[in-house]
Amino acid sequence: MDRNDVILSIKGLGKSFPKDNGQIVAIENFDLEVENGEFVCILGPSGCGKTTLLRIVAGLEQLTSGSIKIGQKEITGPGSDRGMVFQEFGLFPWRNVKKNIEFGLEIKGVPAEKRAETSQRYVDLVGLKDFEMSHPKQLSGGMKQRVGIARALANDPAVLLMDEPFGALDAQTRNQMQMELLRIWKETKKTVLFVTHSVDEAVFLADRIVVMTARPGSIKDLWDIDLPRTRDRASSKFIALRRDILDELEVQKTGT
Amino acid sequence: MMDDLPRYSNKMRGVFSRDNLPKVVLAVSSLPIFIAAWWLLALYLQGQGYFYLPTPLEVWDALVLAWTWDPVTHQSLLSNIGASLGRFVVGFALAVGLAVPIGLIIGYSSLVEAFSKPILEILRPVPPIAWVPFLLLSLGLYWGPVITIFIGVFFPVLSNMIFGVKSVDPLLIDVARTQGASNKQVFTKVVLPSSIPYIMTGLKIGVGIGWMCIVAAELFAAQGGGIGVLITAGQSIGRYDIMFAGMVVVGLLGIVTLALSEFLERRVKIWTGMM
Repeated sequence: MDRNDVILSIKGLGKSFPKDNGQIVAIENFDLEVENGEFVCILGPSGCGKTTLLRIVAGLEQLTSGSIKIGQKEITGPGSDRGMVFQEFGLFPWRNVKKNIEFGLEIKGVPAEKRAETSQRYVDLVGLKDFEMSHPKQLSGGMKQRVGIARALANDPAVLLMDEPFGALDAQTRNQMQMELLRIWKETKKTVLFVTHSVDEAVFLADRIVVMTARPGSIKDLWDIDLPRTRDRASSKFIALRRDILDELEVQKTGT
Repeated sequence: MMDDLPRYSNKMRGVFSRDNLPKVVLAVSSLPIFIAAWWLLALYLQGQGYFYLPTPLEVWDALVLAWTWDPVTHQSLLSNIGASLGRFVVGFALAVGLAVPIGLIIGYSSLVEAFSKPILEILRPVPPIAWVPFLLLSLGLYWGPVITIFIGVFFPVLSNMIFGVKSVDPLLIDVARTQGASNKQVFTKVVLPSSIPYIMTGLKIGVGIGWMCIVAAELFAAQGGGIGVLITAGQSIGRYDIMFAGMVVVGLLGIVTLALSEFLERRVKIWTGMM
């Protein structure tokens, strides 16, 4: 694979866990290069280690072998050059929307005035105007994840990591949030690494889909999705692509 | 623009709604019925001569008497209340001031917990009142009762604190770390604020135990008066009405401080977005 302007490069990544008296190999020989501004979805059967992979890229878990680079810098732990959006939102219940978004800036020691300016920009970007002072308890699931996205972006990370971010939402909200995410992605020109188990979601969102094998997880196939956006789920190309990828996943499930 | 709007609960109904009316009537009538029953029982027992139970009116008179200068402690009721309250505040503040940081450390570090748990488990079951004779002899008539409260309040606040730290949502810690937080920042910006509601619960439990401890210690002895002193003084001269007056005062103080701590707990929960 030869790509220019690579922002994230994962080489020979392996991860195993100790279990009982042996080792479980969760991920094996995972190689991926992601270009600046690219939207990559990682798709795979449950238990294939896709969430673990994302957590390793985030620095929340240690890799067993291989290396990960953001630009030229090898990552060794969590850092604000990668922003993460979690499935269960992970908003701080004691902080209002504004304060949640400003968390990372506070950590960096950005002065209050500058923080307010930045958070306001991201509040507007994700469409939460007039909810700045609301607490998470007062927000719907979709609005909570808007805060989650704004908070991850406020740190201006090089890569946005998203772990099934719409998995806890109802179907209608989920579709709406996918549209919103594409709009935000276009406006911010961020690189996105997005984990999902929904083929439909991946085909709707991604420039490129990484299909993973069942455990131990490694790359089974790469799909370039060149359908123009906004994609029409009812178009024959969309349906055909979705079916082909689904077939590929089904094959692994039955083990043939 | 919004996916779906927040829903507000519709639970807030009027206290005087029709469903609630029987409950309101019962709640309003229970105290007068209690006092009337007490009165009748007192009159009956006094008539029979089994033992002397003062009537509510006699207790009221004793309260009025104690208000200015009671015949036993030779102090006003307010100065007795002040003496108890003063010990309560000092013992309580010491207990909270130590239990909160110690609880934070024990809850955060499994090594410190492994070390301290056996010690705590040996000390915890000893009722604070069992300490009183020793504390009075060794620490004297002021610090003895104060440290009794300290012991009574320390353990429940500590347990809640440890539990609070351990109940921190690991997802929030992950979030903080991906946002670049150091270990110290995870502690101050995630662990500490998530533990606040548990601190408040500990304080509330501590208030109830605190009053129990202060009066129990004062029943033995205390310097400068106190409600417990007033009760034992009444006993020493056979004034049942004064003993009861002391009990009423302790009860009222307990209600006031508990209400205060519940109010504080609500404010903190609202302030921290937990409610």
